[in-house]
Amino acid sequence: MQGSASLAAPGKAAAAVFAIASQLCGAAFLYLILKVDGGWQVVGLLALLGFGFYLLERLPWIGDYALASFARAPLVAMATAAVIVVAFPFVVGSNTYMLHLLIVAQLYAVLALALNFQLGSANIPNFATGASYGIGAYVSALLAINFGISFWLTLPVAALAATLFGFIIGIPSMRTRDTYLALVTIAFGVVVQQLLNNFSWTGGPNGLVGIPAPSLFGHSFADPLVIFGWKLPSQANFYYLAAALVVVAIVTAHRLHGSRIGLAWNALRADEIAAKAQGINVAWFKVLAFAVDAFLAAFAGTIYAFYVSYISPDNFTFLVSVTIMTMVIVGGMDNIFGVIVGAFMLTILPEKLRAFADYRLLFFGVVIIGFLMIRPQGLFPQRMRRYGGDL
Amino acid sequence: MLELKGVDTSYGAVPMLRGVAMSVHPGELVCLLGPNGAGKTTTFMTVCGVVRAQRGKVEVMGRDMATLGTENLASLGVGLVPEGRRLFPSLSVIENLRLGYDAVSGRGSNFEAQLDKMGNLFPRIQERLRQVAGTLSGGEQAMVALARALIGEPRLVIMDEPSLGLSPKLIGEYFEITREIHRRGTTILLIEQNAEMGLGIADRGYVLVKGKVAQEGPAKELLSSKAARSLYL
Repeated sequence: MQGSASLAAPGKAAAAVFAIASQLCGAAFLYLILKVDGGWQVVGLLALLGFGFYLLERLPWIGDYALASFARAPLVAMATAAVIVVAFPFVVGSNTYMLHLLIVAQLYAVLALALNFQLGSANIPNFATGASYGIGAYVSALLAINFGISFWLTLPVAALAATLFGFIIGIPSMRTRDTYLALVTIAFGVVVQQLLNNFSWTGGPNGLVGIPAPSLFGHSFADPLVIFGWKLPSQANFYYLAAALVVVAIVTAHRLHGSRIGLAWNALRADEIAAKAQGINVAWFKVLAFAVDAFLAAFAGTIYAFYVSYISPDNFTFLVSVTIMTMVIVGGMDNIFGVIVGAFMLTILPEKLRAFADYRLLFFGVVIIGFLMIRPQGLFPQRMRRYGGDL
Repeated sequence: MLELKGVDTSYGAVPMLRGVAMSVHPGELVCLLGPNGAGKTTTFMTVCGVVRAQRGKVEVMGRDMATLGTENLASLGVGLVPEGRRLFPSLSVIENLRLGYDAVSGRGSNFEAQLDKMGNLFPRIQERLRQVAGTLSGGEQAMVALARALIGEPRLVIMDEPSLGLSPKLIGEYFEITREIHRRGTTILLIEQNAEMGLGIADRGYVLVKGKVAQEGPAKELLSSKAARSLYL
């Protein structure tokens, strides 16, 4: 750290330029990988990405410089990010497939951020995030279909229902830990999916059909979005909705990470007795992690249900929970940005690898292992907190 | 501030403490001595509420430990230095200290001011604040563990074998800091194996042998007592 001090202290202007340029590069990369179809083009882009992470691993000052730049010019960085997120659908235009992938990736980013409170911060291997996601989707869908309740009202109700579920699995889980805890959560996840499959009022294996599209100020989300004469496909509505949810999730995660709660989760991850000696009620903080995870996951579930307008138990299997877990591990435990990158990567990659037909899953596995070999701690590992004048 | 009355503790069928009675009064530095396996760490665990007493009563800050958990001690003004430091190895030194500070919030003084105080008391850790705690040397870890317990300004500090694994020079430095903390008004229960050093700074002492208090009295008397020497020293 000391040796790179001169490099890691960019001037204000240099920091702003770096923050803008790096984010534009990231956005351009995302656009390219969404756009290309041919197998070799995908491989080329992945190789480029891998090389980037290789450089980041070998030359840690690049990461330090980037962090220092973003810390130096936070407003410029955030404004650039906002502009990119808002402008992206305009660049994508009428390509609804790309928009669809982006919506799913954003929902998975929220799910991964939700699980990150547990797996990343507190090392609680919760395999029931998919179930919380499903509970959110089903509760809101049932409310909308049977009672005609508006999407905006079902959002908080579904979140509260899932939070209750979080408490229900959290409390018995306190008696176990590590692998046993993982087993308990797997059991809960499977039970939820089986219940959705067997109840008649959830539609059984056929699921729920005809979930009405939400509307806002008289504008239905099923209609194309017209902004200043630009006509965007109806998916753009959900793109912006999902983006708003990602922002909520990021702010929540950031606030929790910096607070006593985030630090307490990190402490009990390392040593429960030492954590208790620091006044941390370990059981309560663990249950809280379950509740926060379920709360955020339910938001994602609700948006998903209204977006696709059809849900079935197959959308919320054990495999979904495993995928979310992989996103957190590959992206970087307890690193908000890393987890989001992990979610985007693991959502987009399997789609892009369709070019390899039957070898798709094999190739997918190889790519993930490759990235973990380049960055063993995850693409963006956990960073230390900074306090007050300490820099 | 701390009182044990006829405390029995066991791990399953193995009895560890038998009728242990001891007390620490405000302003005192009390040293609990004993050879390996005498039950020193069990006493620490029982006082902290990690292990429950089967019989007898444990009172900390006037509260019965039968109804309190370890996590309640910090807010009562009790700082704990467990055996083997038990820092959070993947967190930075400053994060470790922050956890100790947050354990007792609402004391008025802010974190930065308390951090400065700790920096003055432990110059060694001042320059290591941003380092990951797991990468510190044993001596530095011992200092951070003590600073983590002290940063919330506790009234009572309970330390379990802090000198274990420290070099002779560091032990001297460590006990000098302990004596200084005591001089500033903090009550201390020091659980130690190093009798000469422990009794050297203590007001009173207890000698624990095979789970029972075999000897007690003023530190100076214990140091010179023949009975205590034959028992343990």
